[in-house]
Amino acid sequence: MIALENHLPIILIATPILMASLMVLLRKQPGIQKVLSVSVSFILAILSVLLLLQVWSGGIQAYEVGEWGKYGIILVADLLSSGMVVLTSFVSFLALIYSLDYIEERSLSASYYPLFSLLVAGLNGSFLTGDIFNLFVFFEILLLSSCALVVANEKGGVTKSSDKMEATFKYLVLNMVSSIVMLIAVASLYATTGTLNMADISVKLSAMSAAGTLPWHVFAIALMFVVVFGNKAAIFPLHYWLPDVHPTAPSPISAMLSGVLIKVGAYGMLRVFFLIFIDTLYIFKPVIIYLALATIVVGAISAVAQTDVKRLLAYSSVSQIGYVFLGIGFGSVYGLTAALVYLVNHAIAKSMLFLTSGGIIHHAGTRDMRKMGGMVDSAPFMSLVFLAGAMSIAGLPPTGGFIAKFQLFDAGIGEGYYFAIAIALIFAIFTLFYMFRAMLLMFWGEKRDVAEHGEYSSHGTSPMIALPIVVLALMIFAFGIYAEPLIALAEATANQILDPQPYIDAVMTRVVR
Amino acid sequence: MNSTLLSLTIAILFGIGTFLILRRDIVRVIIGLGIMSHAVNLLIVSTGVFEGKVPIITDDGGHGAAEATGTVFTDTLSQGVLAPVLEAGHHVDFVDPLVQALVLTAIVISLATTAFILILAYRIYEEYGTTDIRELRRLWG
Repeated sequence: MIALENHLPIILIATPILMASLMVLLRKQPGIQKVLSVSVSFILAILSVLLLLQVWSGGIQAYEVGEWGKYGIILVADLLSSGMVVLTSFVSFLALIYSLDYIEERSLSASYYPLFSLLVAGLNGSFLTGDIFNLFVFFEILLLSSCALVVANEKGGVTKSSDKMEATFKYLVLNMVSSIVMLIAVASLYATTGTLNMADISVKLSAMSAAGTLPWHVFAIALMFVVVFGNKAAIFPLHYWLPDVHPTAPSPISAMLSGVLIKVGAYGMLRVFFLIFIDTLYIFKPVIIYLALATIVVGAISAVAQTDVKRLLAYSSVSQIGYVFLGIGFGSVYGLTAALVYLVNHAIAKSMLFLTSGGIIHHAGTRDMRKMGGMVDSAPFMSLVFLAGAMSIAGLPPTGGFIAKFQLFDAGIGEGYYFAIAIALIFAIFTLFYMFRAMLLMFWGEKRDVAEHGEYSSHGTSPMIALPIVVLALMIFAFGIYAEPLIALAEATANQILDPQPYIDAVMTRVVR
Repeated sequence: MNSTLLSLTIAILFGIGTFLILRRDIVRVIIGLGIMSHAVNLLIVSTGVFEGKVPIITDDGGHGAAEATGTVFTDTLSQGVLAPVLEAGHHVDFVDPLVQALVLTAIVISLATTAFILILAYRIYEEYGTTDIRELRRLWG
């Protein structure tokens, strides 16, 4: 057990990969698969909290994989990455519990568990790695596993498989192009600095910048990273794949995609711009702010017109990620704190809304909100938790979303970005509008017969489906009423992001074993 | 001269790849992605071709940044603890071995994604009965 504490970063990546291969071998025993994957996911959640506590008390951890010294690959756990790992493990644990009753048995036992484990491994790996080429590798792992999970079938055939394939094709082609762009950027960085270690690149680029010999193509590389992470996070000109993929995926996978996977883009932006391109960032600050504003506007306006409940939530994700990027674009401690608080609150609320939408669709027997109605009588639980999620997304007071929006607007006004805040505020009202239009259509009005539509078979709400939703709903109110620990953590993280020297020191001054 | 030819090849491959990605046929899009990923592989290899300079050995070349800062890892390379790629001060014409490892990884990844997307294209053909992207318009971005 002594060894375990010192090896947490690699355990958090290696265990899911090991589980993936084990689950393939166990596909004839669905019972064992179920127990094993849920318990391992729970253990990973505990271990990730342990890692966060270690980093909180003991500073940044640099973990060498193998004994290759400076030629080796390194995993770094600072507050940002370990916090993101906690978020991933938590959401993935709840999504896994949800999917036990939601996903079709055949697809669950054959391919679902291994791919889900690989997705978790890819997410944890991309958060924890300190090597920019490994970031690319883990991006590919999570891209492929999420593509294969999108085409997994849920019970009752909610989405036609031809729709899933069309959406996955768009997702895969766009993300392969962005992977190619990322490889070009990584290769150019390697050719410029002769290293792939992010801390080392940062030191060398700062030295070149101080000596006045920074090559011009570093700015082009930085712009390429904006494109890559913008594509992952689905910000404005690159968001066209998201409203197809997130609604057609099964609900627990939608929750993972919207809750955690698009945050990988925000994480990458924070990591690359505040660590590697710390001296070149100032050129791209207005670019990020304008893109964020365009994302907010386009996402909110598109969401208003939607009739499909999951499509509405997907466009809402586009709009909300814009707010996170707005906070990143401010680039101050308070702005980054607000962005991180927003990121966590959106992850929790949007995961919950997607999980709830699965229950709503199964209850109503249709995805079209215009055909629903009166669900406040026929499904009171679903309407209550949807109200909680909608309040958090719209930013109403007793929920976490209010704290996040308040902090973001306060940070923007304090920095003097009045125009940006005005636009963000107007479209926050749009958020309120489309969320409560959905409430109105689905839950109030004339009560419709559930079996009337019969687009597919319904299987009702089971405890396994209700439990994750309840946990996430309680989290929303917990972050709204008692937000101080989250804000304190986010502020410490923002301070650490803006001062990369401890990170560099932790990585660079290691004595080789 | 050699690297000019290499750069020209990479640029032409990128051009062909981009052209094919913008076609209407799914199969051509996939071929375009394959060509583009090979262009990237060539680009990565080309970053490791120097005239007698090995980037991961800091005291023989690199690009000068390591000498400028003096910041290197505090390792014990001289004691032979690590596998030394080259001894210090030893000058040879050498291609960086690290880029070959990177390219191998990139090739394996592009193999996996290409296999997935080919199967996906086959299933799309089964479902829709066509490989024309204009007919795949049931979802509207």
